[in-house]
Amino acid sequence: MNPSPTTTIVRLYWIATLLLFAGVLGMLVFWTPREATMGDVQKIFYIHLPAAIHTFVACFVVFIGSVMYLLQRRLWWDDVASAAAKVSVLLASLVLITGMIWGRSAWGQWWTWSPRLTFSLILWLLYVVYLVIRPSIESSQKRALISAVYGVIAFLDVPLVYLSTKLLPDIHPKEIVLTARMGTTLLAWFVPMTMFAAGLIMLSFRINRLRRTALEEVETEFEEPRLVPAGGNA
Amino acid sequence: MTRTVRHIAMLTAKDLRIEARGRQTVGLVAVLAVLIVVVLGIGLSPGRGADGLSATAILWVAYLFGGVLVFERTMAVERHDDALAGLLLAPVDRGAIFASKLLANLLLMFAIALVVTPVAVVFFHFDLSAAPGGFAAVMLVSMVGYAAIGTLFAALTSSTRLAGGLLAMLVFPVALPLVVASTRLLHAVFEQGEALGGAGLAILVAFDLIFLVVSWLVFEMVLED
Repeated sequence: MNPSPTTTIVRLYWIATLLLFAGVLGMLVFWTPREATMGDVQKIFYIHLPAAIHTFVACFVVFIGSVMYLLQRRLWWDDVASAAAKVSVLLASLVLITGMIWGRSAWGQWWTWSPRLTFSLILWLLYVVYLVIRPSIESSQKRALISAVYGVIAFLDVPLVYLSTKLLPDIHPKEIVLTARMGTTLLAWFVPMTMFAAGLIMLSFRINRLRRTALEEVETEFEEPRLVPAGGNA
Repeated sequence: MTRTVRHIAMLTAKDLRIEARGRQTVGLVAVLAVLIVVVLGIGLSPGRGADGLSATAILWVAYLFGGVLVFERTMAVERHDDALAGLLLAPVDRGAIFASKLLANLLLMFAIALVVTPVAVVFFHFDLSAAPGGFAAVMLVSMVGYAAIGTLFAALTSSTRLAGGLLAMLVFPVALPLVVASTRLLHAVFEQGEALGGAGLAILVAFDLIFLVVSWLVFEMVLED
């Protein structure tokens, strides 16, 4: 069976993303200079920063999907929001893990309660909760409504979390001095990371849609036959 | 305006009257909150890693869990005999319903805090003499924001089967900035001897305003279902 044009495009997209990842990884290993004080561990930063920025983008998509659901009450928007929520949790986990590896080498500790670490942790928790509560709500309308309200509040909570963690003592690097090659590497990493994040959101959305249509088909199949009054013109 | 205020007062009085007659919430939740403090006190008594200031974090655990029970119960009252349908049919603004539920929740939470706070202060040798007013102000202002999101989510989840557990899951992470900000402010006041400035409280008040406005706006959308 020949794959449909969409399937071909999707395959090409993921192959391109993989190739770009291989390219920037090679760049990182062979071309980017070693940072003087931190050594090789600093290179984790090229993954850390794009992942952090795309976490916010994904959270913003959750917010948009949630607001649109509240306004239009179309489950299509719920599928958008939940797809983006999965990706935001994945990326936030990546940010936390890369950050912890870096922190272990820079500060000698896996974890400190510094503002940005606390901020990332709370952000991660906010969206993990979004994902874990969904399966426990049976009605799909109710699930979409609770998720949408939560998606809006969680996103508005982000600046509050940021402000509150500012009150904690800080040891996170505030400004980073990069050489030209380091800057180029960082920019280059943004390309596959963006493709990865966007691709995952679309993939997850597609799965959500397929699951929804399949469920709807099953539901209509097993629907109770309507009772028609005897002799009446229903 | 006066009409709305009268409606809010009437609805709040109704909720408080139900509580006064049934005595279902405050006593039970206050005892639960004291139990939480006792359990944590046994594990973390001063000298074993906890200092006086730990009382603030421990109190937050008690307030968070106690709050969830209060929000859930004041909303469950409306689900009995479909009282909510009657309330929605009444010629009352939805905003007034939200405000009255919020007020009732706050008053019940304050009543519980009045019991549990002295217990934690005594158990953890927390010396409040430096700024008793500051402590009360920080805790009271934080509770307003917490009660706002709690009231909103209680209205959302009360019709689901898993009301209790679900509500705690939804409100705890959202309330975390309030916990972080208030404990940090108290830390600055009691540990570093700084005066509780307007700027510190302003952050908490800003939180309250955001939570209040958003909850109030969304509450109207949510109640229709």
